[in-house]
Amino acid sequence: MWSFYFSELIHSLPFFLKGLWMTVAVSGLSLIMGTIIGFIWGIIRASRNKILRSLIGAWVDLIRGTPFLVQVFIVFFILPGIGIELEAFPAAVIALTNLAACFICEIVAGGILAVPSGQREAARASGLSAYQQLRYIILPQAMRTILPPLVGQYVLLVKDSSVVSAIGVVDVTRVGWLTVQRIPEGIMVFGLVGILYFVICYPLINLSNILERRMTVVATKL
Amino acid sequence: MISFKNVNKWFGDLHVLNNINLEVEKGEVVVVCGPSGSGKSTLIRCINRLEPIQEGELIVDDMKVHDKKTNMTQIRAEIGFIFQSFNLYPHMTALGNVTIAPIKVRKVKKEEAEKLGQQTLERVGLGGKAGAYPAQLSGGQQQRVAIARGLCMRPKIMLFDEPTSALDPEMINEVLDVMVDLAKEGMTMIVVTHEMGFAREVAKRVVFMDEGQIIEIAPPEKFFTKPKSDRAKLFLSKILTH
Ligand SMILES: Nc1ncnc2c1ncn2[C@@H]1O[C@H](COP(=O)(O)OP(=O)(O)O)[C@@H](O)[C@H]1O
Ligand SMILES: [Mg+2]
Repeated sequence: MWSFYFSELIHSLPFFLKGLWMTVAVSGLSLIMGTIIGFIWGIIRASRNKILRSLIGAWVDLIRGTPFLVQVFIVFFILPGIGIELEAFPAAVIALTNLAACFICEIVAGGILAVPSGQREAARASGLSAYQQLRYIILPQAMRTILPPLVGQYVLLVKDSSVVSAIGVVDVTRVGWLTVQRIPEGIMVFGLVGILYFVICYPLINLSNILERRMTVVATKL
Repeated sequence: MISFKNVNKWFGDLHVLNNINLEVEKGEVVVVCGPSGSGKSTLIRCINRLEPIQEGELIVDDMKVHDKKTNMTQIRAEIGFIFQSFNLYPHMTALGNVTIAPIKVRKVKKEEAEKLGQQTLERVGLGGKAGAYPAQLSGGQQQRVAIARGLCMRPKIMLFDEPTSALDPEMINEVLDVMVDLAKEGMTMIVVTHEMGFAREVAKRVVFMDEGQIIEIAPPEKFFTKPKSDRAKLFLSKILTH
C-alpha cells in the first residue's frame, strides 16, 4: 500500500512544483514590495516626525498583535464588503506585503537608531541634506545591523505565506491539503510539503548566518 | 563674523544660555572655558544651528541663524565643527571622510575633491593615511582627519568642542599644533578647551562661562593670572590643581 501511495505521490510531483512556484511567487512578490515599503516606514519611524512616527508605530503594533490568518481573511472577505473585490492571489500578496513591511519597518528603524547620534551630527554640521545624511552616512552603517535579521525575517515570512492557502491560493500547503485527500498518508504528503519549504528557506538561513558572521567581523574592525 | 545679541536658550526648565552677548571678529581666535555643564558646547552648537535658539539674534557671516527661514546648508558649509569624539565616518577611509561633503554639498568633482583632500591630509601631517579607516588610526590621528574634513570645505569659521579632551596625553600636542597653525593662518576660531598653553599662544580673548552665562571676557594672560570674578578664580584653582 505504502509503495502504491509513494508512486502516486511521485506522479503528483508536477502539481507540487506548481504549488512551490505559487509559494515562491506570493512570498517573493511580497518580500520585494514589503522590503521597499518596510524601509520607507522604518526610515520615517526613526525620524523626528512625531505624528507619522506614532501612526506607523500603531499600525505595526496592530498587525503584529493580530493573527496573520485574520488579516488575510479581512483583505479577502471583508474588503469586498466596502467595494474592493480581490482575487485570492492579489489579496494574499497584499496581506503578506503588509505583514512583511511591518516586521521590516521595525528592523530598519532599530538599525538606524543604533547608529551613534554623533554620526548624524557630523553629517548635519557639514551641510549634507537630510537625504544625503541618510544615504551616505546613516544607512550604510545601519545596514550592518539590518541585514542579518532582515534575511532571517524573510525565512519567517516564507513560512507564514502558507496561511494564504486558507483563501484558496494553491500554494505548496494547499497542494498538500488537496493531495492528502487522494493519498491518505499524511506524514508522506506533508513531509514532502515540509521539504519543499525547507528547499526555499535553507539557502536563506545560510545567507543570514553568513551575513551575521560578516557583519560581526566588520563591526569589530570598526 | 559671529554676533550673539541677547541670546537665550532653554532645555525644558534649564536656562542653558542666559542672555549671551558676544562678538567675534574675522580672523579672531576665542577660547571658551568654564565648568562642565555651563553651556559651552551648547553655545557653539547654536552657531551652526545644531541647536536652535529661542530668543535673541545670532548672526553669522551676515546670515541670520536665529531666523527659521534661513537656509542652513550654506552656513553649515562655511563652518567647520570639530567634536570631542571625532565622529569620523567609520565606513569610509580618511580620504572618503574628507571628500564626501565637498562632493555632495559643494558639488566639487570627485578627482578635484580627492586632490584637495590629499593636500589637506598632508597639511595635518597624515598624507600617508588617506586609505586608512578611522579604526586603524590613533585618537590624535582621527582628530586630525576630522580637522582636515572641516578644512576641505574651505570654511570661514572653525568651531572646536573640547577637541583634545578625549585624547591620551601624548596625542594632545599633535592636534594642538595643527590648531595653532590654523590660528596663525588667520582662521576665525572658537575653541572650547581648558588647554591654557593653547589659549596663551593664539587666543585674543578667553570667554569664561558658568551656569549659562558669560561671566568674564578677558585676554588670556589677564584671565589666567588675574581673573576678576570669584567663580573664575574658583574654576582656575580647580583646573590648576589637576
Ligand atoms: N539636548 C539636551 N537636552 C537637554 N539638556 C541638555 C541637552 N544638551 C545639554 N543639556 C544640558 O545643558 C547644560 C549645558 O550643557 P553643555 O552645553 O553640554 O555644557 P558644557 O559643554 O559646558 O559641559 C547641561 O546641564 C546639560 O545637561
Ligand atoms: Mg561640552
